[in-house]
Amino acid sequence: MSNEIEIKNKIKNNSSLFTNFVRNAVNASPKVQNNFLEVGAQVALTIKKLLEDANLITELEYKGKDFWAENRCKTACFVDGGVDKTSIISSAPLSIRTGSYIVKPDAPEKNREFFEESMVFLGDLYDPKNELYDFTDDDFEEDQMLNKKKDGARIIFEAVTIVKHILLTRKFDYCFLHGPIEATVMPFTVLGFPTFTKFAVENMLPYYNKSNLNAEARHFINVYLEALNCIKKSKFPIYGIVETSSSSPYIKNLLYSYKSKGTISEKDFKNTLSTIKKYKITDSHLLEIILKNGQALKPLEIKKQISGFNVTNGSAWESKIDSFPSVQMGYIKVNDHSAPIRIESLSLSENIIKDYEYILATARLLPNYGFPVGLNVVDKFAKIPNWMSKASRKYYATHLLKQAIKSKDQNTISLAVKILSKKVRSWKNRPLGGLAR
Amino acid sequence: MNIKKWKSIGTVLGETNIDHFYFSLKNYKAKKGDIITTESKIPSSEGNVVPVTVWGKISSIESSNAFFPTEAAQELTNENIDIRDTILPTTRDELICKVIILGYTLKDNLKLMPLNYPVRPAAPVSYPSSEDVEALLISDLGSEHPLFIGSLLARDAVKIRIDADNLVSRHVSIFGMSGSGKTVMVRRIMDELLKKQYPMVVLDIHGDYLGFIQKQKKMYPNNNVKLFYPNLSVNAEDKEIIYTLIDKLGNTLTDPQKDFLSSLLEKVKYDEGSLLKYIEKLIYKAREFASDSSKSFKNIRPASMYVVIRSLGQVSKKLKNMEQTNFRHRQRMSKLKFEELPDAATEPEKIVSKGQLSILYLKGYENLPASAIVSILLENLFRHRQEVEEEIPPFLTIIEEAHNFIPSRSEDKDNIPSVETIRKVITEGRKFGTGIMIISQRPSRLDETIASQCNSQIVFRMVNQKDQRATTRDSETLSVDDSKQLPNLANGQGIISGQVVNFSLPVQIKFDEQLINDDIGNENFISAVENWDDKESVKQRKKFAKDFSNISSIDRRRAN
Repeated sequence: MSNEIEIKNKIKNNSSLFTNFVRNAVNASPKVQNNFLEVGAQVALTIKKLLEDANLITELEYKGKDFWAENRCKTACFVDGGVDKTSIISSAPLSIRTGSYIVKPDAPEKNREFFEESMVFLGDLYDPKNELYDFTDDDFEEDQMLNKKKDGARIIFEAVTIVKHILLTRKFDYCFLHGPIEATVMPFTVLGFPTFTKFAVENMLPYYNKSNLNAEARHFINVYLEALNCIKKSKFPIYGIVETSSSSPYIKNLLYSYKSKGTISEKDFKNTLSTIKKYKITDSHLLEIILKNGQALKPLEIKKQISGFNVTNGSAWESKIDSFPSVQMGYIKVNDHSAPIRIESLSLSENIIKDYEYILATARLLPNYGFPVGLNVVDKFAKIPNWMSKASRKYYATHLLKQAIKSKDQNTISLAVKILSKKVRSWKNRPLGGLAR
Repeated sequence: MNIKKWKSIGTVLGETNIDHFYFSLKNYKAKKGDIITTESKIPSSEGNVVPVTVWGKISSIESSNAFFPTEAAQELTNENIDIRDTILPTTRDELICKVIILGYTLKDNLKLMPLNYPVRPAAPVSYPSSEDVEALLISDLGSEHPLFIGSLLARDAVKIRIDADNLVSRHVSIFGMSGSGKTVMVRRIMDELLKKQYPMVVLDIHGDYLGFIQKQKKMYPNNNVKLFYPNLSVNAEDKEIIYTLIDKLGNTLTDPQKDFLSSLLEKVKYDEGSLLKYIEKLIYKAREFASDSSKSFKNIRPASMYVVIRSLGQVSKKLKNMEQTNFRHRQRMSKLKFEELPDAATEPEKIVSKGQLSILYLKGYENLPASAIVSILLENLFRHRQEVEEEIPPFLTIIEEAHNFIPSRSEDKDNIPSVETIRKVITEGRKFGTGIMIISQRPSRLDETIASQCNSQIVFRMVNQKDQRATTRDSETLSVDDSKQLPNLANGQGIISGQVVNFSLPVQIKFDEQLINDDIGNENFISAVENWDDKESVKQRKKFAKDFSNISSIDRRRAN
């Protein structure tokens, strides 16, 4: 079977690409519908040729029983964060924690595995005395940016958890983070994003800038950069693993490197990027078609923080963004029926193929889901369970109502009820009529 | 009771009520059937809040490992990987126990009271010491005459006693599959009751209780252990039973033939004594009537009378065979002294007296005659207890293979004579001290009225669902959770419920090895065959059979 036919068949059978195809078929013009298959196949074929030319595709070895018998002596640490989804109008409770699952298979049962709650924060982001964000530096209190604050807290907590393991000189053979090893920091460069409190920074990075923890030093960008620099210097390999990629950094960087070498023209580069954008083709889509079960893409050095965007343009952080380390990014296709997983690290390991084989083996323990099982384990451990969120919501609701009832003011009570009702048009808010009025 | 010394083994989970609660258990700290406690508070009748200890029994335990994905098991199996070599977690089992609440006790009083306020969620769960559990069980039982029967299934150190007074007056049923431990249990109870000089009558079909005779001198020197074989004698007023026997054991009779049989019984006087002789007499008289039909039975043809005569002959032959079979079994145990069953009507004290155990050995008898024998025996003994003079003391009747004597209506065995008798005895037994213990491996085949009159139950391993349903149907205290446990019980493990205990308890029955009947052997038939050697007579027969076979084969004049 020729490469072209094989890729066309794969596209037909590929569910995620097929979903896009259907979406296009509904929304796009008949012309686009007609050539979608051809475009997809052609892009995949071209990218595959480039990957082969650059010798980036590699076969990983996996011998289940033998692999684990050989690697049972290795200590692996898996890190993930969990955030409570609670949100009510009157308050912004935030419960966040990061967990670590540390396992050494050949250790005696008592010391075989540890579940650690590495970082915990419980507080309210509307509370000016909260211990995480410093609102004295918050110029735009009316724009609470709650989701950004929550994201920022989660990202920093995850990074700091790894830093903590490094500072404690833990003897890991591997450390894995659920998610990118380096998050895009651009959203946190906006004006008015609050800084962390001194208390928070001192707890997160006890060694950091002790003499001068001014507002700038306590900003997310600086604290995160500090954490990443520490991670980059780690003696044990640390990988961030992402389940599915919703963008196409690998392909774009590959094309860029070929454009830089002069192998492809500026025009072809731009047109291809435009096509990828237009058809919403991601790394996951293409690599799912290109890679075979057990194959990996060797890492490419990729710059995640790109300056020059509207948001950062002219901001004080423009120059700082360039200081962020670049990321080594690769992919592993674990099985035939799921998208390849993205592997990120801040430094290039000497034993990268062995490391990838270890990741593949941990992912093969979830043969259908195709994701490192240790991260699945720590995900369950760190997740803030529903019963906890529910209890916390109930607590806030009760507190709010009690305060309202205490005020004995009918309007305040009515407002409290409205706040607690999920929908404005719920039965509790129906206009009163007749005698009830 | 030193509560502070009890080890904490878990935490009560979120939702509780007054019947049961769930708790999270520390690994390996308790097992199914264990008695546990939790401290709680309840409102008192005076309006105060009082601290109490709530007692419960673990009725089920579920284990799960939320961190071990199902699909990982698939990979481990396919690749033959040892989980301990991988990074999969192996130590995060979550154990959730369901606890049936038994009641609460106050600080200085070990009497269990029914809980009327839910236990506190999140309260710690403790593992009380064996001494304290035993103290609670004894104190709560409040028995004047406790009988030791074994130990708590989950805890060997906790000895279990049951209440003898309720046992002998309020009837008890013992159910379980063959080999599950019923007989072991009965022997245990008999041993204890003998020590208390309580009289017992045992209807023994298989000879399971002959060990009591063998070990009498050594183990029960103060008791009188008697071994009887049945005597087919009836009273004149028991003609109904005679009719039923003949009707059921003989050929099927038409209505005119039945009329003839009935009239025959009316006309031929029964002098009391051997039933077989009476049947011979009936045959003789019937022949007379048949040859002289016109005078006595004008409406019945001689042909019908001969049918009845043949039927009577059939009955006589069957009864003789049964007597012979029983005799042969007795002969095998020549060391044991068998006596003919005395007449319960005139000499009840020979069967029931203080400290006496009377074993009626029924082996060889078919259901119907055995039932007739039992019916007559119990009817007479009961009558003696009813009388003002009370010629015999209270006693306990132990009925082995009870489905033969009290079959369910659905068994379609009408007119089994013992059903009515046992029904009467069991209904009124409490007043007159004639307790009954019924033992069966097929509770679903038992008469429902009689089974439901047993206020206590001891149930052993039971796999048949019909029998499980019948067991829970007849019991007021055996829970659904208990019945689920029945198929998994091992030999000698049973669940005791009802009035002999205060709440159902899983128990390991003490095995009295010395009470096994030495002559019955251990059912090791494979070894018996391995060591088998034909008897001399068989050897001779086999030898000559070959010669005769040769003659037959060369005899061409013989047909075929």
